[in-house]
Amino acid sequence: MKVIKKEDLDDFVDELIAKDEREVVGVKSKDSKYVFDKLGKAEELELEYDVTILPPKKYFMPQRETLVEYETREGIEMKAVNEVVPRIIIGIHPYDLESIKQMDKVFADSPEDGNYLEKREKSILIGVNMQQFSEWSFAGSMGTATIEDGYDLMLTDLGDRYAVEIGSSKGRELLEEGSLKIRDAEPEEIEEVEKIEENIQDEFEKELDFSPRNLPWLLAEEYGDEDFWEENAEDCYSCGTCNIVCPTCYCFDVQDFNDISLEEGERMRQWDGCMLEAFAEVAGGENFREERAERYRHRFMRKGRYLYNRFGDIACVGCGRCASQCVPDIADPTNIFNKLWSDKDE
Amino acid sequence: MKPEERPKVAFFDFAGCEGDQLQIANLEEKILDLLNIVEVVSFREVMTEHSDDYDVAFIEGSITDTHNEERLKEIRENAEVLVAIGACATIGGINSIRNVQNFEKVQDRVYGDKRDHYEAWEKAKPAKAVVEVDYEVHGCPIDRDEFLHVVQSLVMGREPHIPDHPVCVECKLNENVCAFERDEFCVGPVTRAGCDSCCVNEGTICWGCRGMIDNPNEEAHEEVLEEYGLTVEEVIKKFDLYFAWQKEVREDE
Ligand code: SF4
Ligand code: SF4
Ligand code: SF4
Ligand code: SF4
Ligand code: SF4
Repeated sequence: MKVIKKEDLDDFVDELIAKDEREVVGVKSKDSKYVFDKLGKAEELELEYDVTILPPKKYFMPQRETLVEYETREGIEMKAVNEVVPRIIIGIHPYDLESIKQMDKVFADSPEDGNYLEKREKSILIGVNMQQFSEWSFAGSMGTATIEDGYDLMLTDLGDRYAVEIGSSKGRELLEEGSLKIRDAEPEEIEEVEKIEENIQDEFEKELDFSPRNLPWLLAEEYGDEDFWEENAEDCYSCGTCNIVCPTCYCFDVQDFNDISLEEGERMRQWDGCMLEAFAEVAGGENFREERAERYRHRFMRKGRYLYNRFGDIACVGCGRCASQCVPDIADPTNIFNKLWSDKDE
Repeated sequence: MKPEERPKVAFFDFAGCEGDQLQIANLEEKILDLLNIVEVVSFREVMTEHSDDYDVAFIEGSITDTHNEERLKEIRENAEVLVAIGACATIGGINSIRNVQNFEKVQDRVYGDKRDHYEAWEKAKPAKAVVEVDYEVHGCPIDRDEFLHVVQSLVMGREPHIPDHPVCVECKLNENVCAFERDEFCVGPVTRAGCDSCCVNEGTICWGCRGMIDNPNEEAHEEVLEEYGLTVEEVIKKFDLYFAWQKEVREDE
């Protein structure tokens, strides 16, 4: 572990912004909320934040992205496109780092998704331990409040200094770049970080009443309780917000857009979500999750069961974004999971 | 496309502000691309000539009297393809606010003491309430790119991509702070996306100009708005700026 003074970290970030050829992005405030965005200077960086509106996933899989450009002037000519902007991303919370680890598995699974993987490969992830907590987060219950790996560098606020844990050779190389004033952490500082990480676990207002390991079983058990799902989905708009803001949702929709010249066009992908009515519609117009309640149930099944069965991860990292941004307030996973848990013996 | 193969298109206006035709007249450099794939034979906004020989008719504005109705039916007969453009033509638009107001008062306000000379309907209707409509370009006013997309789709005989999900999808893709988190209210959760949530991006709210999605959860939205502190009258007002006609049709079903 290393230690750096806060003002020296600022200088380091300013130097990266000025000299590094990669784009430097980090957490910035937007009205009363936070977002990951390009940094103009280190001052804009907000490392004390609760949660960002969208997760950093947008840097590896942008909201909208061109996959193919085509021309039809003389026959059809296609060109695969991957617009990779190498980035240094500063200020990622542990739950988001965990979600990136999960997404790395998903996109590396065959068929490999080169557009994601290449962007991911060219990124540096600088994490930060949480100091503020969204009232909707339950990372403590999901084991994602702190993290051992998945970052290149990890910061912990120690008042006038940051402790810096090195997570990879990419992270180490970054520290060697530039004129960084850094030293080894002393035993008291290491102890302090450990104490902070221990205390973080108890900071969450929301929690799961049981171990998340029970989720795959519980969800299989309660899948057929139609009344339960219908009751809870009654106020659902099918607006997809809970999908779009989720760090472990990765569905997209692909469409061709012809230019008005009719001679060229682009194949684009855009984030999609299983809560949207058209999502499960197949050619011919049939929809195999036509009812709101079916779609509503499906999202919880995905988070707590289906992805576990496929990749071995509970695909909810407890960030609370879905819960906080759902307008009718019906998306909170702790609410649904805890209700199912207490209903299970009935 | 060879010039003589281009479909002939004509624009017609009914009760509306012509804001949509203005959007088209202002296409600037793209207007030339447009003219490569269609031949405009009638467009009052930019030309004086008029022809009744057209393949595609673009309808702007809502239908508010019998005279309108007959004229639209005639256009439908003449045209192979009929496209409604702008909220007035697709959902009744702003004009349909009067559908839920006292009709005599509306007449007084609009026509004053000349009101008896006008034989206006009590309710403003969109084109599809009167004739079959093949394509719709939503919005008040329409979005130029979406208009071009619909035109090139119809020229190529393809279905255009018109979203049937709420504005919230685009709003979240754009990472906006939700109106409800700014102590404001918004009808985005029941409104059809496709405008890239442009109003919320500018820091305001969605008023619903693209009309409701096909299967909106209005009951939930009314409840939610009330929960967030709006009175029943305010809720109704929120919904009726653009949705009056759509709501009535859904209630009748
Ligand atoms: S649960 Fe909430 S956020 Fe998700 S689709 Fe339904 S209304 Fe939207
Ligand atoms: S389901 Fe909700 S709480 Fe869980 S990871 Fe997704 S957005 Fe976060
Ligand atoms: S839809 Fe809006 S822009 Fe178009 S005519 Fe009506 S009021 Fe004007
Ligand atoms: S501001 Fe309106 S459109 Fe945007 S997410 Fe909130 S409710 Fe939806
Ligand atoms: S945000 Fe709402 S009011 Fe604004 S253009 Fe889109 S649909 Fe119309």
